[in-house]
Amino acid sequence: MEQDLGEIKVGFIGAGKMAHGIAQGILLSGKVCPGNVMVSAPSLNNLGKFKDCGVRTTHCNTEVVRVSRVLFLAVKPHIIPSVLQEVSAVITLQHIIVSVAAGVTVATLERLLPTGVMVLRLMPNLPCVVQEGALLFCRGSQARPGEAGLLRELLSSCGLVEEGRGVIDIHTGLSGSGVAYVYMLAEAMAEGAVKMGMPSALANRIAAQTVLGAGRLLRDSGQHPAQLRTDVCTPGGTTIFGLHALERGGLRAAAMGAVEAATERARELGGK
Amino acid sequence: MSVGFIGAGQLAYALARGFTAAGVIATHKITASSPDTGLPTVTGLRKLGVNFTTSNKDTVKNSDVLFLAVKPHIIPFVLDEIGPDIENRHLVVSCAAGVTIHSIEKKLSLCHPAPKVMRCMTNTPVVVREGATVYATGTHAEVEDGKLLEQLMASVGFCIEVEEDLIDAVTGLSGSGPAYAFTALDALADGGVKMGLPRRLALRLGAQALLGAAKMVLDSEQHPGQLKDNVCSPGGATIHALHVMESGGFRSLLINAVETSCIRTRELQCLADQEKISPAAIKKTTLDKVLQESTSIGVKGRISLLNSKGTKSKN
Repeated sequence: MEQDLGEIKVGFIGAGKMAHGIAQGILLSGKVCPGNVMVSAPSLNNLGKFKDCGVRTTHCNTEVVRVSRVLFLAVKPHIIPSVLQEVSAVITLQHIIVSVAAGVTVATLERLLPTGVMVLRLMPNLPCVVQEGALLFCRGSQARPGEAGLLRELLSSCGLVEEGRGVIDIHTGLSGSGVAYVYMLAEAMAEGAVKMGMPSALANRIAAQTVLGAGRLLRDSGQHPAQLRTDVCTPGGTTIFGLHALERGGLRAAAMGAVEAATERARELGGK
Repeated sequence: MSVGFIGAGQLAYALARGFTAAGVIATHKITASSPDTGLPTVTGLRKLGVNFTTSNKDTVKNSDVLFLAVKPHIIPFVLDEIGPDIENRHLVVSCAAGVTIHSIEKKLSLCHPAPKVMRCMTNTPVVVREGATVYATGTHAEVEDGKLLEQLMASVGFCIEVEEDLIDAVTGLSGSGPAYAFTALDALADGGVKMGLPRRLALRLGAQALLGAAKMVLDSEQHPGQLKDNVCSPGGATIHALHVMESGGFRSLLINAVETSCIRTRELQCLADQEKISPAAIKKTTLDKVLQESTSIGVKGRISLLNSKGTKSKN
């Protein structure tokens, strides 16, 4: 199996936001030429964005399968069965199928595909669209470490890429939905600022940048978040007063509960 | 060097026990005084071999380092009583919560030009030599005085000098801290009992767990948050328990506790500064005894000193 990404052919069935985000990330890494990427969608609506990147487009799913080695299934979960039925005939043991469909388990995918086909399941999150995603994948029974390594390399410019076993639903609860928790926090913080007299537009811009800046620092410093938190707290200063209010409000328990609730729901939906 | 305690309650007892266990001072070099001879701590002090007296003046006479180990609202009376007996050699160390160095120096300066005063906040685990003590240095105290106090208090635990304005916060944290821990341990033991452990074992294990955890925090470079993570295996028992604690606002409660204790300390300090003591609060025996002694020695002038300052009148 060649590791020369320059020659690898990548295909997308489905041309929505997630597909586009991932495709962009792959192209950004510079390892795959646009000409080696093909995407299919039933309508022209979303294909324009891909064409602009120099990616080949089609309305024919089997064509994508035929020309690709790595195949991303980026359609809505309920479309997966019909798509797989459609293309099964042209799927070979050389293909590497990467499903991005939420709630569709590896077991389901392997059941719908010909025996022996290599499958990986990828759970990205929204910030993939700006190449700051948190992407977790797990391997199906036929995918070996080599395929995992290839996928990692392809996705390296999409954000954080991690492999896991049995944790995809937790990843959904933490990071898939987690993006929304952060938005809620940012919104509420901005509202607090408005309450204290700051114009709304300004408050929102600052809240957004605060989240972004804190996030970068958290990711890049390598320090435990608790350490970063205490480092910001001057004795008797403003921050510790604010934090105390959050503790009183039970923020920690609420956040833990949110991840728990979303994870359990993901498990429910996945039919576990 | 001799050490004296004005007051023979829990604090004096704990310190005396700690000092003698540490061997920094012989018991016969320690004097303690209190008007109330019935206190269990008085019995304890006597058993230790400490010289016990009902006369504060005797304590002052026999001491170089003089700990004021009485309740904050008693401090003014004690200072008025012993003021005239303070000499150059004396190092007056107040352990009273919320009583400022300034207020002590003000009173003592009526009798002595440059009283050496220090203020410390310690806590009861000095009795097992694991105390947490901070001290602030008064206007006339020298560097050696600080070193001396530090030597004494370091023998019974951790001791460090701080700016006086931090002492109220220290009171809230480590002054009251052992009480928070006792409460926690009691409850943890209850939890153990509920799940089937015999009480004594539950308490022993709970205490050891907190002791061990505290030692880890003190010995480790790592943030306690990191240490917590190290204990929480994914999906395991501990993280489930922690979620329960967070849901109960555990952290917030602890922050509130420290804050409340600190604020109350400041309140008490204000009360003390105003020197408004309720009649019920005045230990009748103290003032009565003082007046008795003064009468028998025939120093009525001292009474007028008490009254003429106009701040305390016997109600």
